[in-house]
Amino acid sequence: MDAEMIIIDSDAGVMCARQKGRELAMAIGISGSDLTLIATAISEIARNIVQYAGQGEIEFRFVEGRGKRGLLIIARDHGPGIANIGQAMQDGFSTSKGMGLGLSGAKRLMDDFEIVSEVGKGTTISMVKWGRSS
Amino acid sequence: MPLPSPHIPEKFLTLAEMMNISEQELERRKQILQFGPEDEARLRKLAPVSEQYADAVIEAFYEHLLTFDEMKAFFPDPALLNRVKARQKEYFLRLTQGDYDLEYAEHRLKIGAVHERIDLPVKHYLGMYNFYLREVWRHLFEIDRVHPDETLATFFSLMKLTFLDISLAIDTYIDSRERTIKALQQEVIQELSTPVLPFREGMLLLPIIGQIDAQRARQLTEHLLMAIRANRAKVIVIDITGVATVDSRVANHLVQTVDAARLMGAKVVISGISPEIALTMVTLGIDLGPVYTVGDLQNGIEHAERLLGYRVERIPEACGDRHGEGT
Amino acid sequence: MDVPILKQGDYLIASILGALTDTALTRLQENLVRSVRKYRSKGVVIDVTVLDVMDSFAARTLRAITIMTRLLGARVVIVGIQPEIAFSMVQLGLNLEGALTALDLEDGLAMLKTADTKEQDRLRRHGR
Repeated sequence: MDAEMIIIDSDAGVMCARQKGRELAMAIGISGSDLTLIATAISEIARNIVQYAGQGEIEFRFVEGRGKRGLLIIARDHGPGIANIGQAMQDGFSTSKGMGLGLSGAKRLMDDFEIVSEVGKGTTISMVKWGRSS
Repeated sequence: MPLPSPHIPEKFLTLAEMMNISEQELERRKQILQFGPEDEARLRKLAPVSEQYADAVIEAFYEHLLTFDEMKAFFPDPALLNRVKARQKEYFLRLTQGDYDLEYAEHRLKIGAVHERIDLPVKHYLGMYNFYLREVWRHLFEIDRVHPDETLATFFSLMKLTFLDISLAIDTYIDSRERTIKALQQEVIQELSTPVLPFREGMLLLPIIGQIDAQRARQLTEHLLMAIRANRAKVIVIDITGVATVDSRVANHLVQTVDAARLMGAKVVISGISPEIALTMVTLGIDLGPVYTVGDLQNGIEHAERLLGYRVERIPEACGDRHGEGT
Repeated sequence: MDVPILKQGDYLIASILGALTDTALTRLQENLVRSVRKYRSKGVVIDVTVLDVMDSFAARTLRAITIMTRLLGARVVIVGIQPEIAFSMVQLGLNLEGALTALDLEDGLAMLKTADTKEQDRLRRHGR
């Protein structure tokens, strides 16, 4: 499968990306609560894109690593970027708004999580959920 | 200017890669079938003839297939049937277009995967190939009776290629079954190691024994939540008497399990908190939140029963008191 | 498509149907608050059985609904949170502060009735 891409520019895009993530994860045998975790992580990340960058894209690919198959999700935007990633990743439940909650939450839901961001240029997040066996 | 990409794990996968079908593997399969360049050449020569009778073969095939009731169910509407016929024709013609490389294999694997996913039984899948081969033979023989050796050689080339296709398609079925089996095995192992016991109506007992790491905590929580739904449980007693060590991480897992259970409307009682564990938790500042905690399982169960509206009384006569108590 | 709100005596029932758009969720908030006020409802049951994902936006909205409804003197019970959703919610650290939770609609309504009965008893005892 080549990469599949969803444009994120509204909450319709958020929902579309969630569905696609679920669908592709199922195709490689990911099941049960993992599907919901994936859909939820995508939802958080996609919302951030709409809220802070206005528009972005989410790309899906199958990957292999550690003898397992996984779903790689890459979320890109050319928004304002994050000045202090460390701070943004801190749990901010009490504030219950702002990018912090989405990012740290998504990281906890996925198996691998990486974020690259530059103020004025944008943000790229890649996260992976691995299947249980290879 | 593009941002530097985060580290992207290993590589992107095709179906062939996921199923470990490499160039060498494909070559090996061709060797097993003794399929070589001469076969490819013969098949290419067959292309124009193929196009001539493709439609007739496809029509005949579906006429045969639809005599079976269970197959009719796959094609509820004529538009779908026509689309499928068109695809079959493409597939059929591809057999004589040469270039039987990894890309060809990937395409065949995709077809196999699609058929597996819609649950097309293997017997019908094989029946399809068998039908093609016989029909093609008939047509070949009609077209050229003058050079039987050549005709036979061409037919054999087609047969070899068809068997290559079959091996790829069957592999997608096997691969899918194996993945399912592995997943089921995992499920069973998990369930056995984290038993959730229905106790009274509306009550579940979850005795945890051994270490709790992140993975086990997850399995436990998932299992518990499913059991809450299946049993309509209102109270859960989690007994940690058998848990080796309770540090802040384990306590966190417990808190999460408790929170999740509460979201599903269940109350949680935690029993088996020894004085040592209690001390550890206080020292570490661990707060299990609004959870009823008790020292031993019996108290835990009794409290849970009270929450459900039960009251337990002992009836001495019923036990045939040996020590003459309670008479 | 607005989420339908049913009135059952003193209570309102909102059953969320499948994938919920942000606008629909926000409108649910407005409609529920309006309805609680209009009917002087004592309680609201929000059924999320079919909700596919509970993310921070959905949790925030439900929390807001709970707070506003409580200000109007009514209780909120969220029912039908599925195992996968409950699990992802605790992983994300989402909480539905102040909202009661029950397994399903039946339990949710029972919970509201019990709470109301207890409250009436208390008021009677203390001679209102």
